[in-house]
Amino acid sequence: MWQLWVVETLRRALAYGTPLLLGTLGEIYTERSGILNLGVEGMMILGAFVGFITTFVTKNPWLGFLFGALVGGAASLIHGFLSINLRVTQVVSGLALTLFGLGLTGVLGRGWEGQPLKVSLSEFSVPFLNRIPILGDIVFTEQNMLVYIGLGLALLLWWLLFKTSWGITVRSVGEDPATADALGINVSLVRYGCTFIGGFLAGLGGAYLSIVYRPSWTQGMTAGMGWIVIALTIFSLWHPLIAVGGAYIFGSLFYLSFRLQPWVSPELLTIMPYLFTILAPILLNANRKLRRRMGAPGALGLPYSREEE
Amino acid sequence: MGWLRIEKRTNPSAKAVFGVSILSIFLAFFVIGFIFLGYGINPFKVYLELFIETVGNIYGITQIIWQSIPLLLCGVGLLLAFKASFWNIGAEGQLLMGAVAATWAALFSGLPDFLLIPAVFICGFIGGAVWGLLSTFLRARFRINEVITTLMMNYIAMNIVLYLIHGPWKGEEMRGFAYTNQFPKAAWLPTIGISDIHWPTLLIGLAAVAFVYLIISRTRLGYEVKVVGQSPKAARYAGISYFKTIFLVMIISGGFAGLAGAGEVCGVHHMLRHPDQVSLGYGYTGIIVAWLARGNPPAAILTSLLFGAIYAAGDVLQLSFGLPFQIVNVFTGLILFFLISSDTLVKYRISIQRREG
Amino acid sequence: MKKAVLLFVCLLFLFTGAICLEAQDKLKVGFIYVGPIGDMGWTNAHDNARKIVEKTFPWVETVYQEAVPEAKVEGVIDRMIRREQCDVVFTTSFGFWEGTVAAAKKYPDKIFAHCSGFMRAPNLANYMADFYQLYYLNGLMAGALTKSNKIGYVGAFPIPEVKRHIDAFTIGVKEVNPKAEVNVRWIEAWFDPAKAKEATNSLVDAGCDVFAFTEDSDTVVQVAAENGFPVFGHYSPMYNSAPDYVVSGQLVHWELFYLDFLSKVYSGYYTSKNLENVDYWGLLKEGSVEVGAKFGMTVNPKWKSRLGSTYDLVMKRIEQMKNPQVVFDPFTGPIYSRKGKMVVGSGERADYGHLLSIEYAVKGVVGAWPGEPK
Repeated sequence: MWQLWVVETLRRALAYGTPLLLGTLGEIYTERSGILNLGVEGMMILGAFVGFITTFVTKNPWLGFLFGALVGGAASLIHGFLSINLRVTQVVSGLALTLFGLGLTGVLGRGWEGQPLKVSLSEFSVPFLNRIPILGDIVFTEQNMLVYIGLGLALLLWWLLFKTSWGITVRSVGEDPATADALGINVSLVRYGCTFIGGFLAGLGGAYLSIVYRPSWTQGMTAGMGWIVIALTIFSLWHPLIAVGGAYIFGSLFYLSFRLQPWVSPELLTIMPYLFTILAPILLNANRKLRRRMGAPGALGLPYSREEE
Repeated sequence: MGWLRIEKRTNPSAKAVFGVSILSIFLAFFVIGFIFLGYGINPFKVYLELFIETVGNIYGITQIIWQSIPLLLCGVGLLLAFKASFWNIGAEGQLLMGAVAATWAALFSGLPDFLLIPAVFICGFIGGAVWGLLSTFLRARFRINEVITTLMMNYIAMNIVLYLIHGPWKGEEMRGFAYTNQFPKAAWLPTIGISDIHWPTLLIGLAAVAFVYLIISRTRLGYEVKVVGQSPKAARYAGISYFKTIFLVMIISGGFAGLAGAGEVCGVHHMLRHPDQVSLGYGYTGIIVAWLARGNPPAAILTSLLFGAIYAAGDVLQLSFGLPFQIVNVFTGLILFFLISSDTLVKYRISIQRREG
Repeated sequence: MKKAVLLFVCLLFLFTGAICLEAQDKLKVGFIYVGPIGDMGWTNAHDNARKIVEKTFPWVETVYQEAVPEAKVEGVIDRMIRREQCDVVFTTSFGFWEGTVAAAKKYPDKIFAHCSGFMRAPNLANYMADFYQLYYLNGLMAGALTKSNKIGYVGAFPIPEVKRHIDAFTIGVKEVNPKAEVNVRWIEAWFDPAKAKEATNSLVDAGCDVFAFTEDSDTVVQVAAENGFPVFGHYSPMYNSAPDYVVSGQLVHWELFYLDFLSKVYSGYYTSKNLENVDYWGLLKEGSVEVGAKFGMTVNPKWKSRLGSTYDLVMKRIEQMKNPQVVFDPFTGPIYSRKGKMVVGSGERADYGHLLSIEYAVKGVVGAWPGEPK
């Protein structure tokens, strides 16, 4: 009986957690290179809006994903320019991006609200793999393509970050840009690239929301998901695989806050996901090896300039 | 970075900062004029109407002031926290918990009437400070980043308020809707004339500015805050306790946000209601107010008024010109972008460096 | 020459008459909304009604402001009256009562009407349209359509208005299908598509196969349709969101009230002195509300045969409730709360005050019910 519960919960968590996962993976890369981008909410909603109208007009969800992601990436470059070249306070630049994204989509999107989207991604089951007991039911049954893309990206980005020299480059730029610079690494280029990845994936996550999760457009439809992404980035210790866990556990708790209502007070249930995000690091902290990793990338949020150091 | 040469300016004058800021705001207005054109509205008509409705008449000015009171309190507290590099994103939750504590004092504490107003402020301060300290504790004991704890505590605070107004604190007079009863009149803050400006909170806000200013410039704590903010390592070498400093800072920062919450429920609403109604994003906007003041407490008065004016402007744009309500975010975003960019002009001297041959 | 003078005089007369007609005030009306007009619920319906009013009455000019926080209502009203010269202001949310009452006192010669409010004044009227009869009718249909005997309901906030609707819905379900139960999940928001989606998912996983809801979007419709289950729309015509699965729903005609009220203001029947007892409570009889998947479609033809004899019952009940004597009411006793207490006596009909303050859950409701009386 409880196995059915676990399966159903996790299956839903995968669907809800995918935009969270995509956004978190992107922000991990951005922050690993030393840039703090609080504009995730703005980039997500830009992606949602552009993705929606692209899919609406072209009837092709993949074009919608592409353009939504590209617009998110482009928006992040504004933050990148301000943070890297002009070296402004990154917290505020990100906030400005969020506000601007929310406002612009709210204003431009007025005429699109309530329009039904007739094309979306269909859910499907992977033929062989869905026979695997439990795991098969959760992951390989009735999920849409983007869930798999999310999982795949997590693996790919983890491998890139920790098993390749390119990943070392990114991490060194975030830890100690002066040394990286001295070693001949183009700090600005790496940071721009990672910021773009962050915006691209956030836009993709947003497009997923408006094309797949809830095929429609309404102003403010991201409803704070961008902020959860920022929290999950820290929660996952800037590690793509832990991000998978974080996103899906958050999604599970979110789903359970409805499923468990007949037995637990609804108000307590709504707090669960947020409480978890704070308390789980306490448990993680008990592990000495993980505790060493608890700190943020050394140069996170600090502008770098050759002349100053 | 070959073609753009950026050197730090040693001492940006206050005049320069102010002048560049004003210029940025004008630039933002200029750009947003194009959006008005896109809607077929004459931008100059808009500018005129904005001017008349916000600063052009006494009524508009009162609207600006009462909305800037919570921004001032949150902003000046956040200013201190940011100086210590403690990224308190949780002013929103601290404000709400201050409101909760003040509500308790007003409705359930059973205190005699003449004590109610001091009580709501004291309780508000405590509520906000305690809420802020929880995040600080998690940082001190478990090394959990404060961005994540303060942010999550905002959501938890919102849900606590929702729980209270739907459950144990729901008012019998409210026909089952989710509000507490109205506070007894003794807990209503007095306002200036028929305006909405609840002046006790305003005075407290101004006192808070003076308080933070004195701390930063005259006390040992202020010195410690500055060192801690620059580098925790340097602080340790100087014998400064990082966590003691942060604790004190967050008591103040959280407490001030709590005072703002108390001011809102006792001065504006006279009851506890839905969290999105109690705080119109004051905790988040406070971050921007604090940053714009550039570490200078008296400047927070100006920046909080600026945002009060932006809110008021948003109302005018909506009502008189039929623009969607999100236009105020476009406005704010643009102003911020220009202010941030111009910040560079002030802090650094930019010159185009010709490539050597 | 005489003819020319006559023509001139006629034209002059017409001209001044036209000016007088112009000068005989266009009625300027302000609407204050609590949410964005782009949702598919409450605010959207009021705004649609506003547009109909503007189209119908050439002597009306409207302005509106959306997403107004409750604390700022008085300020918005001030601006509407001073700057926009509004003569009439409608405030469309319970939470606006403080500001509306204060404004009514401040401007004793302007006219105000507060939706879903209960405080009145010589220049302040109340109005409301309620859905409980529609939910009852939907319940009849849901009870007939369910195969698993589990019906899902996604609720916004546990306040009397929503509880009244869920109770009416369940009364309808039980009348047709005593074995069925209504599973409630609360999302603690009026508009939150993500929560609505996951709440519906949790109901689907719990075995529900028919759905109704109170939320300002068509998310529940989408999710139900995705899973192949029948669903009842809410507040807006949601037929187009899922033409194969939306069986019926609840619809509203706010314009009926606005047109009536404004024409009475314009003709001078309503003044700023005599509104003390004006309280509109619009139900099926008044035509303020309509049951259907979209305007004019009471039951989705695709589902008519599946309803069987219940279809005729539904039609009969509609006639009974539209009858000027209101021959039938869902809240006719004996009605028991799910805790076993008799809340409406045998043969009695719940009155207005009772309906407005319902906190109990009737037998058949399953799930959390915050604020449930003993």
